[in-house]
Amino acid sequence: MNLSNRILNKKLTECAYKCLVTFSTKPIQQAPAAAAAATTSPGGSQTQQDAAVSNNTSPARKPLVPPHYRFVYPEFLPDPKIEWRNNIREKLERLDMLDRRRQIDLPEFYVGSILAVTSSDPHAAGKVSRFVGICIHREKCGLRARFILRNVIDHQGVEVVYELYDPTIQKVEVLRLEKRLDDSLFYLRDALPEYSTFDENMDAEHLEEGTPVPVNDIKVVLRPRPWLERWERQNLLGVANIDQYIKEKHRKSALKVQKPWEKFDLMKQYRSTIPEEEQKEIFAEVHTELHTLELQRKRNKRKRTFIKPKQLA
Amino acid sequence: MLRTVISDLARLRLGNGSVSITQVREKGHLNRPRLRNPHWFLRKKRTVHDDFVTSENRNFVKEVLHHTYNSSALTRDEQTHEKKLTNETIPEKQPWSQELRRCGVIARKIGQYPLWLKNGEKIRTTLLQVVDNHVIKYVPPEEYRPTRRPNVPYSKKYGCVLVGAESTDPTLLTKEYCGLFSNSGVMPKKNVARFMVSPQSALEAGTPLNVRHFRVGEFVDVRGKTVDHGFQGVVKRHGFKGMPASHGVTKTHRRPGNIGGGGEKGRVWPGTKLPGHMGNRWRITKGLRIWRINTKYNVLWVQGSAVPGSTNGLVYIYDTILPLRKPKDAPPNYEDNTLIEDIWFEQVHNFKDESITYKPE
Repeated sequence: MNLSNRILNKKLTECAYKCLVTFSTKPIQQAPAAAAAATTSPGGSQTQQDAAVSNNTSPARKPLVPPHYRFVYPEFLPDPKIEWRNNIREKLERLDMLDRRRQIDLPEFYVGSILAVTSSDPHAAGKVSRFVGICIHREKCGLRARFILRNVIDHQGVEVVYELYDPTIQKVEVLRLEKRLDDSLFYLRDALPEYSTFDENMDAEHLEEGTPVPVNDIKVVLRPRPWLERWERQNLLGVANIDQYIKEKHRKSALKVQKPWEKFDLMKQYRSTIPEEEQKEIFAEVHTELHTLELQRKRNKRKRTFIKPKQLA
Repeated sequence: MLRTVISDLARLRLGNGSVSITQVREKGHLNRPRLRNPHWFLRKKRTVHDDFVTSENRNFVKEVLHHTYNSSALTRDEQTHEKKLTNETIPEKQPWSQELRRCGVIARKIGQYPLWLKNGEKIRTTLLQVVDNHVIKYVPPEEYRPTRRPNVPYSKKYGCVLVGAESTDPTLLTKEYCGLFSNSGVMPKKNVARFMVSPQSALEAGTPLNVRHFRVGEFVDVRGKTVDHGFQGVVKRHGFKGMPASHGVTKTHRRPGNIGGGGEKGRVWPGTKLPGHMGNRWRITKGLRIWRINTKYNVLWVQGSAVPGSTNGLVYIYDTILPLRKPKDAPPNYEDNTLIEDIWFEQVHNFKDESITYKPE
């Protein structure tokens, strides 16, 4: 029990660290705290606990924003490029995003999760199209937030770019909520097709509430060269056989373009992220609304689970 | 000037009774009107010497400020709506016609984001915030004397409306600059611009201008100073292709190549695209549709992302001069206080509405 707990804790720390590198300015101090917060509530839901805390506090205090919000709602953080920032624009954008979220349930998902997106399509047969695939990339912020789904259909790789706040999207379902070892999975384009083949009629897999999002540490097998990108230069964790196809010259040039000092470049990190204080401010503004939407989603889910099964024969 | 003096002298002589022919010799060049800056081009910032100002004095200055401009002056991003009446004479309001030219507003470009139309199409929009505008002065056409270009006929058709944007602390400004605002009853502003208007649509000094100056669905021209790129080569400035990176090409990768022919045309023709300074010029994008208006924050959503200037830069918004996109109806009335915060054009999808679906045929 103790051992397994420790392993879980370690894994969590790893996963939290990986995500924090992309978002937070203080990765090392935050990671254990986040992991500890996640492990202290193994049974109950973390968000419920937070809600309880915010209910207990006096109204004068600002609501406590759950620390995982920056991973669940990354698009609420604006573009960190200082020349493009403006408080009022960001506020208006956030209001619009919340308005859209009141109309449609946009669930939590990550790169590596398997989604099914139903969208209206004027050219489809029933004016509605549904696409199932793995999310290989998630980018941009605000109303431009978008993600790419990939699947192999009839031996043909298909990718669809969806905009998260596009009003033609009718429904977004998460069929399997998980993460992968890398931040974007473009290498699936060069991998064997079975790694990006998913059944269209796949059922949603149920994940216990409050459990941390599992990390799928599958290693993908690549096809031989030529590739679309020079994968050997990107320090990918989720690829098994990259050494099989590269020659000595590729290895050398890959070494040459490495920038191992960049992780110590605090200014670079500062410029490419939103500072923690600002993140808190932003999420304090949208937190209550997002929280009520979350509760509503949970209620709806419970309703859906209690539907009587059909009697067969 | 010289000529008038001579003629005066001649008249004097005539008065004396002696008869003589005065010879007026022309100067060898045209008497061009000298360029002079408009009267509101004044030094704005004062050198502040407050080393010996005590805190009591500072408080006193603050008190005086508060007393003179009684309002919630100096609150940022806020529109001060109260109208200060002055004893300036303004021509009677006349019925609107399409030929009349209306005052514009000063705005800030605050960014861009997409909106969707009701048919599911995505459009790019730029957000322009009208920042605390007030009319400072109206100069009727008879009195307004702009700097004129030589040989350009000037008809005194339009008056001039001075508009200021963004109130600031007057203690930081020079006396002359503050004097511009003294008759209008508004606080000194950071930015001043002039708009040429028909005398029928002149505005009284002290009139606040906000986003309700415009209506959703109408078209505007936006004038701004483009982003300064500095001295740039031909590839960035004019989109030339350059030459290949390899295959034996040396010393000419981003150069323009040939710039002219020989023989009779053996020179560089005027207008040839060459390296030079790029950006930092006044440009007007014309005929941009207003898709949406927020009256609380005074924001316009305007078609496209080609509005000149950087984010947080100043732009000027005018009614469009494109003949087919001119407004068909009279401009909206400031007085009707309909409290709609967010106004959407009918073709735009409101995020509060349900998802877009297409009807099966």
